[in-house]
Amino acid sequence: MNLTKHWAAQLDDYAIDVGWSPGGELLAAASAAGTLRVYSASDGALRHELPGHAAGANCLAFAPTPPLLASGGQDGTVKLWDAGSGQHLKTSELGRGWVEHLAWRPAAENRPTPLLAAACGRRLTLLDLEGSVRHAFSEAAKTISALAWDPKGGAIAEAHFGGIRIWDADDFLLQKSLPYANGIHALAWSPDGRWLVSGNQDPSVHLWIPAEDIELHMSGYEGKVRHLSFDPTSRWLATSGGRDACVWDCAGAGPEGREPAMLPHDAPVCAVSFQGSHGLLATGSSDGTVMLWSPERAQPLRATVRMPSAAARLSWSPGDQFLAIGSEKGAVYVLKCEA
Amino acid sequence: MDPIPVTVLTGYLGAGKTTLLNRILTEQHGRKLAVIENEFGEVGVDNQLVVSGEEELFEMNNGCICCSVRGDLIRILGRLLKRKERLDGILIETTGLANPAPVAQTFFTDDEMRSAFRLDAIVTVVDARHVTRHLEAGDESVKQVAFADVILLNKTDLVEPAELDRLESRLRRINAVAKIHRTRACDLPLDRVVGLGGFNLGRAIDLDPDFMEPEYPFEWAGVYPLPAGDHELVIGDDDDPGHSHDHGECGHDHHHHDRGDPNELDVVVLPVASTEPDEIGRALKQAVGAFSDWEGRVSQSEPLRIGPALNRLVLKEGNGRFRLRPAAAGLHAVFEQRGEAPLHIYAGAELVKPAWQRDFHPAHEHDDKVTSVGIVQPGDLDGNRLNSWVSELLRTRGGDIYRMKGVLSVKGTDKRLVFQGVHMLFDAKFDRPWDGAERVNTLVFIGKNLDRTQLTDGFRTCLA
Repeated sequence: MNLTKHWAAQLDDYAIDVGWSPGGELLAAASAAGTLRVYSASDGALRHELPGHAAGANCLAFAPTPPLLASGGQDGTVKLWDAGSGQHLKTSELGRGWVEHLAWRPAAENRPTPLLAAACGRRLTLLDLEGSVRHAFSEAAKTISALAWDPKGGAIAEAHFGGIRIWDADDFLLQKSLPYANGIHALAWSPDGRWLVSGNQDPSVHLWIPAEDIELHMSGYEGKVRHLSFDPTSRWLATSGGRDACVWDCAGAGPEGREPAMLPHDAPVCAVSFQGSHGLLATGSSDGTVMLWSPERAQPLRATVRMPSAAARLSWSPGDQFLAIGSEKGAVYVLKCEA
Repeated sequence: MDPIPVTVLTGYLGAGKTTLLNRILTEQHGRKLAVIENEFGEVGVDNQLVVSGEEELFEMNNGCICCSVRGDLIRILGRLLKRKERLDGILIETTGLANPAPVAQTFFTDDEMRSAFRLDAIVTVVDARHVTRHLEAGDESVKQVAFADVILLNKTDLVEPAELDRLESRLRRINAVAKIHRTRACDLPLDRVVGLGGFNLGRAIDLDPDFMEPEYPFEWAGVYPLPAGDHELVIGDDDDPGHSHDHGECGHDHHHHDRGDPNELDVVVLPVASTEPDEIGRALKQAVGAFSDWEGRVSQSEPLRIGPALNRLVLKEGNGRFRLRPAAAGLHAVFEQRGEAPLHIYAGAELVKPAWQRDFHPAHEHDDKVTSVGIVQPGDLDGNRLNSWVSELLRTRGGDIYRMKGVLSVKGTDKRLVFQGVHMLFDAKFDRPWDGAERVNTLVFIGKNLDRTQLTDGFRTCLA
């Protein structure tokens, strides 16, 4: 395994989000202060610096139709940008809350028009490519704390303190309500659509098989679980929640009764991300260490790099060749990963 | 990295929170502060970070307030950590009706909150004109006082000094450990409000010494400037037309309770040189001694003995008239067994107003169910017994115990154990060594329906 620095750049503040364009040509990064930067993935050249959100940015997401880029901020807006030309296209005002979560509907052949799910405060809204509201769902009981699309794109799950609601993305009806009597920090849907998982404040992870009304509860964490990631086979679920990244085996009946693989760090784990089509897991801890793992191997650790500050975001490029790291001190690193 | 200090501002609507907040923000203090305000757009100061939020309760356990935290604060505080530059402090403004418990409990939520932030102080602004009404009106106002580390008794220019003394002693009864500052428009040095380490475990508890000696045998004392001569001391309802006056001016609350023989009242009268704290302290000690002395019965129209001697006044239907004959003009402290018995002194036809007065042992007064109980106990504690006592106490009484603070001496360690709690949540750490200082346990409970005897006895069982 060969992990090398490809390029690096510096933002004006904490790297609150990073994201690759669908073809992997561009990397966008949002700073907590609010500016967006678009880099050329091949050499790190700064292509555009966009004003973003004056009150602070929270998240960004490239649309499946390049080069459209969406961003969400503390000003309660979603902004759409042409990441190719650097043009601001549209501002959608969603309310007084923060727009903290954005997620594009997974592309599918029978659905040519992408939809953007945006959570602002307690309300989930679906926007179209022009930034117009397609549907605004009823408000959740508490502020929405995570979003996850069903991988086939038929439904979207929103989490808040107290539970999860799953909405049909075509007729906008409530498919299911999954109560959970605590705070939820993260949601993940397994790529095969079978498992819906929450990372919780209490601290635990809770797994549902919504289709079968089955739920499992895995506790024993040191701290709240804020990060979840499934591997592309849907078997391995990586979670934060302590000094070890914890990997559950979700094959068959699920992780209940199985010991998870514990992948050790020297400091609390603050980011976990599986590759999109291969089996490598990247984990970051608050001391600035980033490690790569093959969880199914007897000797799972594959590589270790140390950064000057902790990884706030880890994001694999489409095709899994590059790993983008956005740090707490605002540095963006792109590492090249060769087997 | 050191935790970021957080100051919580509470207070009834109109008490002056926003005034204080604006002062903190506009004053040149060179600190980078973030403000979390309760409503949108109330405060806006250039170059400061202002975040607006809407109160959102996370009820962790079936809606129990002891287990509720502020979800909006968790989210906003978490976001404030996501900055390249560090903040020097955070101010949280709460709504006028907010219960401070969920705010304080938010900082106990999890390890991240505990390590990233330090609740520096809960600062409560009270409106001197309206606080009495607010305290009667509802629990929130009482809780805001009970939870406070610092109380600003504000708008003092609108209230008479004697009334301020009464208000302060009432606030003190609810919360014996808060620092009380009298202000006009929240005008006080900011270092009294921010950067205190008020909630900090490392700080020794500064207890009101009066509060720590709750066993006074008298309930009220007043110091009267008396000329030499033959004066009248009147107990009870003053229905002599020659002595008509407005009771509101006499500066002595009249309460009615049925305790003891209503036709006996113990009184001690001592000459004092001044109303300075040292002199009052000396007189208090002398009076405590006198109250344990043999009583001398004093019948109607007889003179009281002046000096360290106990006068047992014989009343008729709760009333009585006696003589008071100071040998020389000067200040005289009168200590009264039952504070609720009206006591007036007349020099000739003139009502003499006390130059100083104080209530003692007042837990029963005003029917404030929220009080403070302090325990000072020398000696070492058994760690295990302490642990099980505190656990059991919080399990059974955590809903009524709003706050708890202490510095404890645990057997087998040379460091002070400092701890604090909010309802059922508490935090304890060993801090600096005793370093030759006397190993004394000091702890304070602030809460509703506290039983002093039970708490004190329970605590003593933890002694090693």
